[in-house]
Parts: sequence; C-alpha cells; structure tokens
Amino acid sequence: MLLMKQLGKVFHTGEVSTHALREVDLEVQEGDFVSVTGPSGSGKTTFLNIAGLLEVASSGMFLLDGENVNQQSDSQRSKMRNQKIGFIFQSFNLIPELNLFDNVDVPLRYRGFDAKERKRRIEQQLELVGLASRMKHLPSQLSGGQQQRVAIARALATSPRFLLADEPTGNLDSQMAQSVMALLEDINRQGTTIIMVTHDHGLAQRAKRQILIKDGRVSELTAAMHETHHHEPLHIVSPSATEHSAKVAGV
Amino acid sequence: MFAYYLRLAWLSIRQSYGLSLLMVLAIGLGIGAAMTTVTVNYLMSANPIPTKSEQLFYVQLDNWDPHEPANDNGDPPDQLTYRDSSALWAANKAFRQVVLAQMGAVVEPEGKDSLPFQVAGRANSADFFAMFDVPFLYGSGWDRTADESMQQVVVLSQSLNERLFGGRDSVGEKVKLAGDYFQVVGVIAHWQPMPRFYDVTTGAFNEAEELFIPFSLLSQPKISRNGNTNCWKPSGEGYEAFLNSECVWTQFWAELRNEQEKQDYLTFLNAYVAEQKKLGRFERPVNNRLSDVMQWMENQQVVTQDASLMMVLSLMFLLVCLLNTIGLLLAKFLSKAPQIGLRQALGASRQDLFTQYLTEAGCIGIAGGLLGLVFAWLGLQGVQMFYGDEMKGLAELDLAMVGLAMLLALVSSLLAGLYPTWRACTVQPSQQLKSQ
Repeated sequence: MLLMKQLGKVFHTGEVSTHALREVDLEVQEGDFVSVTGPSGSGKTTFLNIAGLLEVASSGMFLLDGENVNQQSDSQRSKMRNQKIGFIFQSFNLIPELNLFDNVDVPLRYRGFDAKERKRRIEQQLELVGLASRMKHLPSQLSGGQQQRVAIARALATSPRFLLADEPTGNLDSQMAQSVMALLEDINRQGTTIIMVTHDHGLAQRAKRQILIKDGRVSELTAAMHETHHHEPLHIVSPSATEHSAKVAGV
Repeated sequence: MFAYYLRLAWLSIRQSYGLSLLMVLAIGLGIGAAMTTVTVNYLMSANPIPTKSEQLFYVQLDNWDPHEPANDNGDPPDQLTYRDSSALWAANKAFRQVVLAQMGAVVEPEGKDSLPFQVAGRANSADFFAMFDVPFLYGSGWDRTADESMQQVVVLSQSLNERLFGGRDSVGEKVKLAGDYFQVVGVIAHWQPMPRFYDVTTGAFNEAEELFIPFSLLSQPKISRNGNTNCWKPSGEGYEAFLNSECVWTQFWAELRNEQEKQDYLTFLNAYVAEQKKLGRFERPVNNRLSDVMQWMENQQVVTQDASLMMVLSLMFLLVCLLNTIGLLLAKFLSKAPQIGLRQALGASRQDLFTQYLTEAGCIGIAGGLLGLVFAWLGLQGVQMFYGDEMKGLAELDLAMVGLAMLLALVSSLLAGLYPTWRACTVQPSQQLKSQ
C-alpha cells in the first residue's frame, strides 16, 4: 500500500545541506497502525510530509497504492491527497472563521461531492466524534480535545485509506489524549491505515507497529524490544540487522 | 464552487474588515478620480453623429491677410465670409450643403400677460435638418425654395414649443419674432449633439438652439446675428458692406458620400478660389480644406489639453492606488499562508487557491468600483459646480461609463491581486502547517 525504497530528503539552505531522511526502506500494509517516534529534529515530520505528499523526496522511490508519486505533478498530488489521505495535526489547524460544519466541508468541496452528499458525510463524521450538536459553533468555542475531534472528523470525511497524524495528542491533556487515541484505534479497527507521529511512548506502544526515526534513519522496534523498553533505553534496530526488519522494510 | 469562493471571500473580508476597507477605499479613490476625468474626456471626444461623421465635411477657404496667416499653424480661418458661403450654397455642388450662423431674437408670445424674451437661434439653410439627422416631433424643416425666397418660416425646439404652445402640434401657427410673424413648419424633438459639432466656434458644448430660421433672412439687418466675427481688414460702412467684406462669421458644411464626391468638391473649391483670385481676392496660396466631423473636432481642440493632462494624472493616481492595494493584499494573503498550506493538505490544487484568492481580490475590486462611482459622481458634481454651464452635459455618468468604471475596478483589482495571490499560493504547505 505504501512503499518507500532508499528514500532520502535533503534540505539546502545556502551552501549547507541537511539530510533530513536517509535511505528509508519501509512498507506499510493496509490496516496497519504505525506509530513513529524519535527525538526532536530526527526527521519525523519530514517523513510524514513525504508520506502525505506535502513534500517530494530528494531521492529514492515512493509508491502509494502502486503509483510513483515522485513523478506526479502538483495537481496530481493534490488530487491524490484529497482522495486517499487524511491529516490530523498537533495544533488542529481548523479554520477559525468557519464553523464546524464548514471546516469539515473543506476537503469535501475539493473532492467535488454534491451538497447532499457533503451534508450527509459532515453530519456522519461529526456524529462519530460526538459533536453533531455543535455544527454551527466556531472552533474558538470548543476545548482543545473537541477541536482535535473536529480535525479527525474532517480528516475522515473523504473516507481516506490513510490517516496521517502529527502529534495528534501533543496539545491535549492526558485524559483528552486517551480519548483521542481511543478514537484513532476505533478508526483503525474499521480499516483505516494510520501513521501517527508521537512523542508519547505510552501511546506509541498502543500502535500495531512502532518505528523509530533517528538522524534521518528509520528502524522498526521489534516485539522483544517492546518488552525491554520499560527497563532499558530504546535500541535502534537497523532494517538490515534482522530478517524481520528486512521483511517489514520490504527489502 | 464559485459560490463557495464568494462566501469565503465575504468571510475573509469580514474577518479583516479594517484592511479590506482600506483596500476598497484605495481602489474607490483611484477609480473615482480616473472616472471623473475619463468621463469628461469621453464625452468631449465622443462622435456626435457616428452614422455619417465621415461624410460630413467642414469647409475652410483661406481669404486671409496675404501678409499674416489666420492661424499660427498656417490653417485657414475657422469660418467663411458671408459672400463665400452664400456663393458655395448657391452653387449647390455637394449632395447636401448647409450654411449657418448663430443669431439671437426676441420672441413676443401671444397673450396680454406674456412678456417678450430673448432666445438663442440659428440661421441655416434647408439641408441642416437632413444633413445632421435632426429628429422632428411635428412637421419638418423647410425646403430650398424657402431659403431662396426668404420665407419667414421657423423650426422650434421642443422646449420653446412647450413654452409658446404648451407642447401641442404648433405647425402652421405663427410666432412673432424680431417684430415679424414667422410660420412654424416644424418642432424638433429633444436634440443635443455632444459636442455640438456643427458650430464649435461658439462653444462646442453649448446647448442646441431654441429656434431655426432660413439663413437668407440674415441678409436683412433686423435679424440680429451673433457669434464670432473676425476681420483682417475694415469691413466698410453699413450692413451691405459688412456682408460683402472679408470678415468671417459663417460656417459651411457639405455632405459628400464618397471619396469621389469629396475630390470633386475640392476641385470645385479650388476652381472657385481661382475665380476669386482673378477678382483680387484670396491673395494667399490656395489652402482649401475639407475636414470630416472628427477631424474638425480635433482641429478645433474640442478635447482641451488640460482635460487630457488631468486624465493622465488621474490614471497615474489610480496606478498609485493600485500599488497600495497590491501591498495591502500581499500583507493580507501572506498572513493566510497557514490556511493556504492547510487547504493544500486537504486537497486544494494551486488552481483552486488561485481562484479563491482572486475571487476575493475581485470582490474587493467591485466594492471599490461601487465606491469609485460615488466618488466619480461627487467629482463630476464638483466639475459642474466649478465650471458651470460650460461643463453641463459633459459631467454626467452614463451607462457606458458606469460599466467602464466597474470593469476598470474589477480588472485593476484582479491585476493587483495577481502577485499577492501567486506569492501566497507558492508557499510550502509543510512549512506552513508546521509553523501554525
């Protein structure tokens, strides 16, 4: 479903080149729930931006549903984003002047659904996140947790196959974070593939798979490492170190 | 989708109403100033008789002082002598021809309580009405025989007919004019060519006359002619001597339907001048002119240089206003970069975003255009107040000018919006989403 091979991303600032991602090999299957952890500046967000077609890789190959997205035009990537990918951001990114109904409506407009279909989907998604009664409220009238729920409703409105979440609980207190995480797990159970960047190891462990990004390199944490994780510092397993990792990485 | 963009534009304008108001004000001021001067220029330079302006020719002959040209640029005098215009009319060589001059007369209405009053009139030959497409409410003009036999007939304007006869069909009625009775043969419907091309020597933007009588009646001194009279040598004693003098005070138009007729008429004029030279007149080199309506308007500088300069200045002012608007739009749109990044993440293509933000720029432009119309109207009121009757009829917004103002505002705002929109739409969505 999502396949990255020898993927690299280099940012050039003047004469300085920064390697944000190096030789990333990763395969994500349909229905996966992958958490992505790593220290600040390790390349997590860059990874998510490339996965979400918001940035283009500098090298390597990236196939999404079998299509090589590196070779696509800007408008083709926009269309693919709209049809296949939903985004959830740490700071919710709701449009302040639009009410909840209109915020959820945004991706549906770009998809080109008719008014009836848009209304049905908006109501369905707001119902799912428990905010159907507040459709006419502005984002500023909601708590942080409620705003993130609206963002989730917006991300799901177009029925994407991928949900990319960048620190979805980063701005929430622990109780709200648990509630949002439970919602994401529920969504995953219904078949949506989720890739979630998080700093919270507790939440990361609730995902079906965990990957670690450090210095731009991606590695998968094994089940055995989960066991030791509570007692020892995290270990990085390079994709070529074990057969399991190699298989996961699709090498 | 366009309705959606309109709604987003409205929400955005409402959200930052201060900035939006500044932009609307900037465009409004620019459009208002531009439209005020453009309107005056447009009406000044309008073709007053578009259907046949290329077939109507103003005639100039150079009978002036052999030692000094009539005009610094070497042009012949702006008008003809009475004897020349009468001779050209009598020759009857053009398809139609008209000799004319301004006159004034005292009208004495019937009824004990009615007081005599002065009206501006025109003495012209019969073809005037057909040549200049004068519309008639009742009756018609007179024919050539009326000119030849100096019949006392008169054509009234609609307003004078209203004043004298209450607006009814007065054809056949008598009007007492300069002490004599004139028979009404026609009443003109509202007619106000702008500019009043047939005689720009007495004011290109004056109102059309109240009554019209045969030109031949001017041979009698009791009809008071007026208008501009220029002489390069003394006219001699008495009215008869004046009529035969070298003083120019009449205008002459010929209707020539094609190039051949024009060439033939020019040949005739040259022959006429050659004949006159034999009589000791026309001592200057042959300098006969036939100018069609628009050439004559240009020659007479109907659009004054001041008006043209003002228009250029006001268009430059509009440019300054637009540059300000570009700056304000840039500030506004770049502040929306995070939202633009978000919309891109949610599936908007650059084309979607371009359309959305240009729609907003267009809405601001239309609001600015509407405000500009108010400013233009105020500006034109000011022009009328400042210049008085001279500008009456020139300082009015017509439908074409309203349309032009709105189009100018829309195009200007879209142009002003292009760069800010382009800048906003080239933001990296990932950077914007991260920076939120």
